[in-house]
Amino acid sequence: MHNPYEVIPATIYDVIQESPLIRTLRVKPERPIPFKTGQFIELTIPGIGEGPFTPSSSHYISEEMDITIMKTGFVTEYVHKAQPGDQVGLRGPYGTRYPLEKFAGKDLLILGGGCGLAPLRSLFLTLLHDVEKYNSITFFAGAKTPQDCIYKDAVTEWRKYKNVRFLRSVDVVPAGETWNEDVGLVTTLLKKLDIDPAHNPAVVCGPPIMMKFGTMDLLKYGYKDENIYLSMEKKMYCGFGQCRHCVMGGYYACKDGPVFTYAQIKNEEDIWE
Amino acid sequence: MVIKVEDFFSFLHKCLDKTFHNFDQVVLPAPSRNPLLKNYYFTPMTQTGTYNLDSYRTVDPLKVFFFQPREKMLPAGFPAIKRLIVGAKGCDLRALHVLDQAMINKDFVDPGYSHWRHSTTIIATDCSEIAPTCHCTLTGGKPFAEAGFDLNLSRLGEQYRVTVGSDKGQELLDLMAKNFSMQPAKEGIKSAIEKKRSEIIRLLHEQNRAFERGDDYTRLQSSGKENWNRESLTCVGCGACTHICPTCYCLILNDETKAQQFVKVRSMDSCQLHGYARVAGGGSPRPKMFQRFRNRYLCKFLFMHSNFGELGCTGCGRCTETCTAGIDFRQVVRNISETVAVVS
Ligand code: SF4
Ligand code: SF4
Repeated sequence: MHNPYEVIPATIYDVIQESPLIRTLRVKPERPIPFKTGQFIELTIPGIGEGPFTPSSSHYISEEMDITIMKTGFVTEYVHKAQPGDQVGLRGPYGTRYPLEKFAGKDLLILGGGCGLAPLRSLFLTLLHDVEKYNSITFFAGAKTPQDCIYKDAVTEWRKYKNVRFLRSVDVVPAGETWNEDVGLVTTLLKKLDIDPAHNPAVVCGPPIMMKFGTMDLLKYGYKDENIYLSMEKKMYCGFGQCRHCVMGGYYACKDGPVFTYAQIKNEEDIWE
Repeated sequence: MVIKVEDFFSFLHKCLDKTFHNFDQVVLPAPSRNPLLKNYYFTPMTQTGTYNLDSYRTVDPLKVFFFQPREKMLPAGFPAIKRLIVGAKGCDLRALHVLDQAMINKDFVDPGYSHWRHSTTIIATDCSEIAPTCHCTLTGGKPFAEAGFDLNLSRLGEQYRVTVGSDKGQELLDLMAKNFSMQPAKEGIKSAIEKKRSEIIRLLHEQNRAFERGDDYTRLQSSGKENWNRESLTCVGCGACTHICPTCYCLILNDETKAQQFVKVRSMDSCQLHGYARVAGGGSPRPKMFQRFRNRYLCKFLFMHSNFGELGCTGCGRCTETCTAGIDFRQVVRNISETVAVVS
């Protein structure tokens, strides 16, 4: 019988320091872990603990996986000490995926900030795999300051696609840093939106406060509840609807999510906490 | 079928013998060693111990034999112990039904829980007495098991009426009948047992009259924050109530990996503890005690009901019995329900 607690060993083959607090681990699992973009995995740091993370790489690649992680707590502290060659463990994948089929032929908006960009990068790279399927992709990415921007090296590449519009905005530009893109909360980029909100999907991921105001703004601009996809990151401990840590009212973030439409969860309590 | 109480105990003693049956352990309720306490604890049977199968539920919930407080899940390797549990109560068997749905379902099978579930035989017994906190009848239960047992015993004087709940139970009954004198239950015995059961139900109704609240539990959700705040004022957030609850199964997975082998240990967790749902970065959906307190009630009456189609509270009263702060679970449900008018 399959043991749901089973861990697949994986070796770190590269570490990319994206920003002072965020780094991407590139790992090679002992056997491929096929996942669908939007799903998450549990990453074990041997002897330390484990936590839920969303892969940030394309789901067309299952032999290797990128996992972008922000330093926030106990486990991630150790993640930030990890070196190429170190062994970690992976369980999963778990949860729901982004419904790519609903994005086909549409003008998709992706709105994200901070570490919320990790699942969005996975989505974005997966979309690029057959980019002609989508009418257009607008990606609005936010960060606190220019040095907090992640995936810096990839941005120029991404901007080369003719149906991709990639805009970035930072909250502030501290003295001594240069920045010649937008300044302000990522939601201010919505002013530059040139797609029809009423008939197109939007995907949001970021810190809770950004997701809350991002969603509210999208509604104001005319997006429909059922077209707003949210990646709800709760404390998804076990990954399979068992431990109950991530329960949001009648839903489990790990099993019924992490990808929800706003229509699904808008009546649940404390979703933005 | 009917067997003498004395003979039934002789049967259990024989069960300790490997040449008679392959049970490794017989577990049954023993009275507390403190004579001031009228309490029972599940205890492994010995040739000399004294036991009581017929009083009310034990202090420890039946779940500890299946969902252990702490158990290694990876690498999986569970001791091959065949256990016979005698004296399980109706409330705990209802709880086990909830846990069965949670731990063994189409998406997930917990290897530890399913191992213990399959290697255990359960003999239930009717309650002949009730504890001061018992309130199974308020949550739709009865003071005797209706399902979930292999055999059930109803005591009448110095006899047990034995009823069968499964094939495993039938085999055990056959073994009993082969070795001891047993007679079919006469109508008189059946009706006497019915009478006794109704009498216990009457006692439960009487004991819980002041806590009656109807079954519209959505009121727990609509009642205001100030009410939950008031009810939870003395709660210290120790989590005793959830650990002892027969249907709570929140778990935490600890990593105890050493060298090259991944080791995962599953422990009980509690939604009453402050760190429970906190995510990295410090955010928590329920930072205040009253929110966590309220969550337990909503989970029992609404969330579990929506997940499993049955209440998560069996009315066993253990949470009330154990609470450091002396909070009576029934009283809270009643108080909160009264803050919201029922819409008919
Ligand atoms: S046992 Fe009592 S004090 Fe402890 S968490 Fe439960 S309700 Fe609060
Ligand atoms: S909530 Fe209290 S009374 Fe209900 S099943 Fe749990 S321990 Fe028993």
